Order: sequence, then C-alpha cells, then structure tokens
Amino acid sequence: MPEVKTRDFPAASAVSILDPQIRMALQRAGTGFDGGRRECIEEVTPQVWEEWREQARQTKLHTLDHLDYYLEMLEERVSANGGQVHFAADAAEANAIVADLVRTRGVRIATKSKSMVSEELNLNHMLESIGVDVYETDLGEYIIQLAEETPFHLVAPALHKSKEEVSRLFTEKLGVPPMDDINALAAAAREALRQRFLEADLGISGANFLVAETGTLVIITNEGNGRLCTSAPRIHVGITGMEKVIPSVQDLAVFLRLLPRSATGQRITSYVSMVSGPRKHDDEDGPEEFHLIVVDNGRSRMLADPDLREALMCIRCGACLNICPVYQKVGGHAYGWVYPGPIGSIVSPMLVGLDQASDLPQASSLCGACREACPIRIDIPRMLLHLRHKLAEEPDAGGRAKGTMPRPIANGFAKVMANPGLLSATRKFARAAQAMLLGSPISPLARGGRGIRKAGLPLLSKWTHSRDLPEIAPRSFGEIWKQELSNPDGER
Amino acid sequence: MAEATGTPKSEFLASVRRALGRQAGPPQTEYPRLAQGIEQLEDQAREVRERVQANRGALLDKLAEVAQLRGWQVRRTPDPEEAMDYVQSLADGQGANRVVRSRQEVFEAVPLDATLTGMGITVTEVAHGEGASRESLREQIAMSGMGITGVDYAIAETGSAVIVPRRGLGRLVSLVPPVHVALVRPDDVIESLDDLFLMRRLEYMRNGGDMGPYLNFITGPSRTADIEQTIVVGVHGPKEVHMVLLG
Amino acid sequence: MTVCYPNHAIHPLEARIDHRNADPRRPHRPRTGFGKALLVESRTQADLFVTCIIDQIYPQVGVSVVRVLRKLGVAVGFPEGQTCCGQPLYNTGYTEQARRLARRVLDGFRDSTYVVVPSGSCAAMMANFYPELFRDDPEMLEQARTLSSKVREFSQFLTDVLGMDDAGATYDGSVTYHPSCHLLREMGVRNGPIRLLENVRGAEYRELPNAEVCCGFGGTFSVKYPHISEGMVADKVANVTSTGADTLVSCDMSCLMNIEGALSRQGSDMRVRHLAQVLDDDGTHS
Repeated sequence: MPEVKTRDFPAASAVSILDPQIRMALQRAGTGFDGGRRECIEEVTPQVWEEWREQARQTKLHTLDHLDYYLEMLEERVSANGGQVHFAADAAEANAIVADLVRTRGVRIATKSKSMVSEELNLNHMLESIGVDVYETDLGEYIIQLAEETPFHLVAPALHKSKEEVSRLFTEKLGVPPMDDINALAAAAREALRQRFLEADLGISGANFLVAETGTLVIITNEGNGRLCTSAPRIHVGITGMEKVIPSVQDLAVFLRLLPRSATGQRITSYVSMVSGPRKHDDEDGPEEFHLIVVDNGRSRMLADPDLREALMCIRCGACLNICPVYQKVGGHAYGWVYPGPIGSIVSPMLVGLDQASDLPQASSLCGACREACPIRIDIPRMLLHLRHKLAEEPDAGGRAKGTMPRPIANGFAKVMANPGLLSATRKFARAAQAMLLGSPISPLARGGRGIRKAGLPLLSKWTHSRDLPEIAPRSFGEIWKQELSNPDGER
Repeated sequence: MAEATGTPKSEFLASVRRALGRQAGPPQTEYPRLAQGIEQLEDQAREVRERVQANRGALLDKLAEVAQLRGWQVRRTPDPEEAMDYVQSLADGQGANRVVRSRQEVFEAVPLDATLTGMGITVTEVAHGEGASRESLREQIAMSGMGITGVDYAIAETGSAVIVPRRGLGRLVSLVPPVHVALVRPDDVIESLDDLFLMRRLEYMRNGGDMGPYLNFITGPSRTADIEQTIVVGVHGPKEVHMVLLG
Repeated sequence: MTVCYPNHAIHPLEARIDHRNADPRRPHRPRTGFGKALLVESRTQADLFVTCIIDQIYPQVGVSVVRVLRKLGVAVGFPEGQTCCGQPLYNTGYTEQARRLARRVLDGFRDSTYVVVPSGSCAAMMANFYPELFRDDPEMLEQARTLSSKVREFSQFLTDVLGMDDAGATYDGSVTYHPSCHLLREMGVRNGPIRLLENVRGAEYRELPNAEVCCGFGGTFSVKYPHISEGMVADKVANVTSTGADTLVSCDMSCLMNIEGALSRQGSDMRVRHLAQVLDDDGTHS
C-alpha cells in the first residue's frame, strides 16, 4: 500500500488551505464539474434524475446484499468467455498475482489506464521493482506519475497542477522544449505515449462496473487510452474492487446515465468499453489473454458493518468532492491517502484502519451536501457519525477517545444537561466568571465588536482566532418565561 | 489456459459470505432483470424494432442533433454517391495518403475504395488472412491518416456509435488514425441505452452465453480536461470524428 | 393585521417517512379542568423546545418565538426542566450520553400536541436522529417515533401546520436568508422561510448567492478544524455582504453565531436575526 499519511490531515489541511493555486484549481472544479452536473439534472428534470438515483441505488443494494452470489456468477462467466478471474484478499496478494503474470509471460512494458484500486495497491511501485516499465496513460495520471505524486481528485488527478508546472515537468522528464499551450502539452504526452501503447505487452485497467451475468468489465473514459490499453497489448489485466459488480448488462443503462453526468457534467463520455474476455481466434486484434483481479483489501470489513456497507455503493464519480465545502477548501492531498473528500473520509479509515485515520471522520461539518449530490444517494453524513461513534466507543491505549471530544468533557456536558439545577448553577458560575474576567485588565477574556474578541482559553481561543464570541445572556429564556411569559390563562 | 492465483475462489467467497452473514445460494427473490428469459426479451426486442421503425425519421433527426452536440461532425447523405463524395472531400482535406477501413456490409452500399484509390490514396481493408498478417495490418493502421468503419448500432439518446469488434472489424481502425469516419445506415439507429442493452442481452442469450469479447461506444472525439480543466481534443484517440448518416 | 387559522395540513415529511405514523392532531388532553379545556380545544397547542443555545445565549429569540406564535393564536407551552437535545454529543459519537438527554426530552414532551423548535438542527436531531438513537430499543423507539411526528421547526410550524405564508409582520430593511444545512437537508425545509420573509411588510428580500453552502459551523468542527471553518465562514460572509442587505436571517442561532462572529470581527454593521425576530412585530425584543 502507498504510504498512509491520513494522520497528517490537520497539519496538511492547514497548509493546503493557504495555497492560492490549489484554491484556483478547486474553484475551477467546483464551477466546471459541479456546475455541469447541476445543468444535467435540470436538463433531464429533477424528477427523472431521482428515478435514476433510486433505480441505481436499489441495484447496488441488492448486489451488495448478495455479493458472494454475483461474484461467483461473474467468475463463471468470465471463465466461460475464456478469461481468468483471480481473487486477492489484500494488496500484497493482488500485487503478487500481477507479479506472477509478469514473470510467467515475460512482460517488459506495461501501459495503464486509470485505476484507483491500483493506487491502493501501489502497483506501479511493485512493477518498477521487478523491472517492468510501467506507463500511466490517462493524461492526469501520467502527469502525477512523472511528478511522483498521488491523485488530487478522483476523476481529475492532476487538477492542482498549473500548465506551467506541467510544462516544467515535461521538459525535465521528457526532454521537450517548454510550452505554454495546453494543446501542445497534451500533444507531447500523446507523442511520448503513442509508441508505448504499441510496444506494451501488458495493458492494465481498472473497472467502473463488472457485469456478473455476462462476465464483462466496463470502463468509461474520454481520452482513448483505456481503449488502447484494452486493445493493443497481448495481455489485458483488469484490477478492481469486489464491490464493482452489478447483476445484468441491462443495469448499465442507468449507471451510464448517472456516472458521467455526476462526474464531469458530461451526458456521456467519449468512450465506453466493455471487455468480456480475450479476443476470439478470428478477431482482427485484441489481447490474447484477459485476467480480472478482484480485490478485497479491507472491503469485507465495510461489508460486515451494516452501517458502513453503503460506502461500497460508491461509483467514484467525485460529485461529493466537488460539492464538499471542506474538500473545496483543502483539496485532495490533505486527506493523506488514495481516496479524498467525504467518501474518502469513510473509505480510507475502513481500508487503512480507523486509528490511522481518526481525523478524517471529524473533517466534516455534516452539512449533507455530499448526500444530496451522490448519484447513489449514499448517506455519507450518517456513516461519518457512525465512525465518530466507533471512535468515541473505542478509546486508544491511553483511554482517550480518538479525535472526538474528550470523554470527560462529553460526560460532564451530559451530566450538566441532564440536571436543570446543575445547569442553572453552572450558568451562574459561568456568568460570574465571565463578568470577572471581562472586568479584569489582566484577563484572557476581552470584549470587542458584538461580544468577546479575545478568549485565551482552550477551545474558545480556536473560535476567537477569527470570530467574535457572544456572551452568556444575563437571563436565560427559562427565567424570562417564568418571570414574564408564562400565562396561566389557559396555557401551561 | 491460465491458473488462478491468489486466494482460492471458495475461500474468498466464504469470507464475503461471513461478512454478509449469509448462506451460499441465490437471492430469495430473483433479481427482476435476470428473471427475464429469452422469450420475454424477444418480445421486448420486437417492440423496440417496431418502435424504431415507426419513428425512424425522428430518430435520425435526433441522432444527428445529439451526435453533433457530443462532438461528431455529422453529415446526412441519403444518396450513397453523395456519401462517397463527402468521404473523398474529407480525405482530400486531410491530405491523407493512407486510409484503413473495416470489412463490413456498409461498404457494399458505399464502395469507397475505387474513389479513394483514384485520388492516389492507399486503401487497406483491415482483415487478416489472404497474405495480410495481423502485425502488418497493425502497421498499416498506425501509418494511416484516416480510419473508416460502419457501426453496429447508433444510439439517438447519446449520439454514440457502437462497434462490436470481430473478424473484419478491428478495434484499432476507429482508434489509432487521427480521423475516424463512421458510416451509419438508417437501420443501425436505435433510440436509447435501454434498447442497446436489451439487444445485447438478447444476443448473449441467443448465442448461448456469448456476446463477443469487446464492445465500444464512441461518442465524439478523444478528449481530456486534465490540465487546468481546459478541454483538448485528440489525446490518444482521434481528434476528428465524422458521422456520415446514410439517411 | 390578518390572523391566519391553522388548516392542519399534513406535512410532507409525514407522508414520506413511514415511521411517522402517530397522529399529532389527536384531541388535546386537557390538564387543567373541564372548563378551561373547552377553551383550549379550539386553539392549536404547541410546546416550545427552545434549544440550549437560545436559552443561554439568545433568550430574546425565544421571546420572539413565543410572541409570534401567540399573535397567530397558538397556545404556547414551555415544559420546564428542558435543556439540550443531545446533538453535540450525538455528533461527536457519544451516543449513550446523547440517549440520556434524549430520554429527558421524550419524557418532557410526552403529552405535547406539537413540539416547536426554533432550530433546524435541533429539530432534525429530535425528528430524525432520536429514532436512530433508539433503533435497538423497541419501547423507546416507539416514543421517539411519536415525538418525531410532532416535531416542527419554527418556520415549518407556521407554513405547514398553521398553513400560512404571511405572518402579518412588518420589518424595516432589506433581508437576505441563509438556509441552515440541517433545516434544508434533514428537515427538507427550503422555500417556507423565504415565502414568510417575502411577505413581511416593508422588508425587501434579497437572494443570497451560494445560499446552500454550509457556513462552516458544524458544532465541534468549528473548533476541531478552525482553519477550515474560518475559510468556510469567510465565503459565507462575502456572499452575505455581497447582497447589500442590512439584515441576515436564518432559522438556526448556531449558524448565526458563527456568521455574526465573523461579521463582527470585520466590523460589519449588518444585523443578524432569527426568522422569529423579523416576524415579531414589536421591535423591543429584536
């Protein structure tokens, strides 16, 4: 697995939020991707959109609830088509399967189309370590590979790179002259990769969907690299998570409508490719071997928890990233692992371990915009709450809750709020303390604006860093009610 | 062929079952789509064909309109002569010396070879055997400025050409040359994605569990917006795609 | 002034969520003797859950809520001993502690016809999250579902229970409206508050750009990740000030505390009001 830096979220987000280039890139994604998505919904009408969402959701729910059945069907049908399915319990096993294919087939050059699961496995690193020249061929992924970074966004991995940076990178790594035209940069990448496509022995792809009934791998792309990777080399290996399966080829209609619209605001992508096995002996071209690696790598943990199973319905469109006010501030790298944004804050903790990623479920205001945007209506806020609950229930070795409100504070809060007399006493004490501190010249508290400008106290200082804080009111509403509002005439 | 490596299937499926807390076996209620057998699909396919037949004019108009919006350069040429003139003008405009085409029925109605050869263009039919090896054909494709194919379906809803590769219809003809020309006959047109997948499923069942190893939707040119969200056409696939609608 | 009478319309949430099967429109059970009960029968009864933030920090909002409801002919009750709905605990994962507070609320509002909550967020806690809190406890779950069917956020009570878009109020100034996330996405209240504002005499309603983006409060989120929360509220403040309105209105004091805190820090003189304060004719409490 690639290095897990999910623990760095607080520090990394504090840096990335100040980066003007990241801010610009995120704004572009917000207006471009999310704006396009909204236009598409208006175009098909929100009513129809809701019908599609419901249909897709029901399909995914059904498949996940019977995942073993459909995986078995998938395996049988791929085999019947002349392909080979391999099952991988974890990243190491998935990499070992690929390494074995490389060794037994004498693979020297591999081209790869976009696959988030391969990022999970750190597959390129493994391939390089056994002497395979591996080329990412999606333009964004290619840039990221040259820059030795990880994807910034689920569908636009190099979103954060300016064309100047890409030009510098190409000059340094490809030896091409500097260029300031984006068309020219894309042409340089095409040029650099064209020969690789034709030389490669191995094409690697991910999968957007796996159709159980027909044993079909479906990929959705725009550039044509996916078509090349699945057509030109003599071996095609598809690598994907076990949750990608859907029952029938007829289910694809609704997913092909939802995914591109949700991802980039496109009505459909330039290409949809469906692979159901190696080429038939009479075909003009196509790989002689087709292997499908179905990866668990922590997914059965999500499957086993009914409160988190929904996260496996994700089709990786990125709509939740484009609308999330937190992702839109901090960008993808701050999340510290393969999957950023709201869905990443669920998937990453479940795949790398909750103790490693305890900061991520907290990185949300629970505003619910992600659920509204999700084409499968995945209830992300509920799952974030569920993870917070797990964190609160499973304190770390020192007995402290991980990342949430400290347990003694929660207990104290509950104790006070469960006892109106105690609340009243606490209120009196807090009022007195507030008055004393506000009246003192050497106090951590100082008035300003419409309330308290400075509060040199734990937690409160985090608030007053850029916001004024209201004071506790002289009388509580309860007191006012008793003194002025309670009306014995027919009312309680 | 190959041996499966990794976790044995039975073990992997057992761990999935454990996670789900369920016993092996099919769902209690069969998934509605899978429950539909070949007879029902035949009936539905007949309805689709009747519907398409009855609305062909409108569907062709819609296809032309949507395909244009998705980035195809659409030309409607009901007359085959006109189609040939148009392809000729495209080849001329490209200055292509080499053109590859598939071996499909549509070229009987639109016999392009003589016209193009007359312009000094080398036309290669991509079909192996008869002295043409797969390797040599692949080289021809890589050198060509234009690839011409028919389509198996054209979907009005999405403006897509659907190609099911097979003998005579290589995958790379519509992919590697910088220009792709798709010849669409009125009979190829269907209305929606639902129609397409119904037909494909029916095909699968009729053929006893085989629908060919590959299928591709093509909808406009190859494109990317991976640098600064700026759209660039012609990354790894064709920069220019033409839909010649023979109706 | 026009007083509109309740039409007892069924709220769409009741039709949508099947667990809301309890009927809040059952006859009110009089507590204070037969004679008074006759008087009570004819008026809509509502008990106020004032929320802890209004109780402790913004009591004037609670006063406006009571005044507006009374002006509209509602018999308002205020069950004593109420504190917090438990949301801060629930949102930080302390479900057992949250249950402790939820039980108090369920008990305190057991006899209510309607429970009016001047906060979308606390209303969502009671209406949507209580049933989840008690999903493994059939008896409490039943109580939670019953309460859920009675809970209405303040604006929702006006538009859906009392059936009015015009509370007959007057306000001098231009107003813009921030829809709080839980009101919008948990309670499904989108247009009601805007209709109410548009019908306030003298008030000019101005649409807020990017209105449905979170203000960055998010409870503990605001102090767990202050740098992100600050960035979010800065955007909100920029949008709010871009309207040129002189009053910002919302239905959640927690969001308003956040936005006002940032406005105040910038030295802005924009007024910040709960919807109830704008609908409260007598300006003395606003």
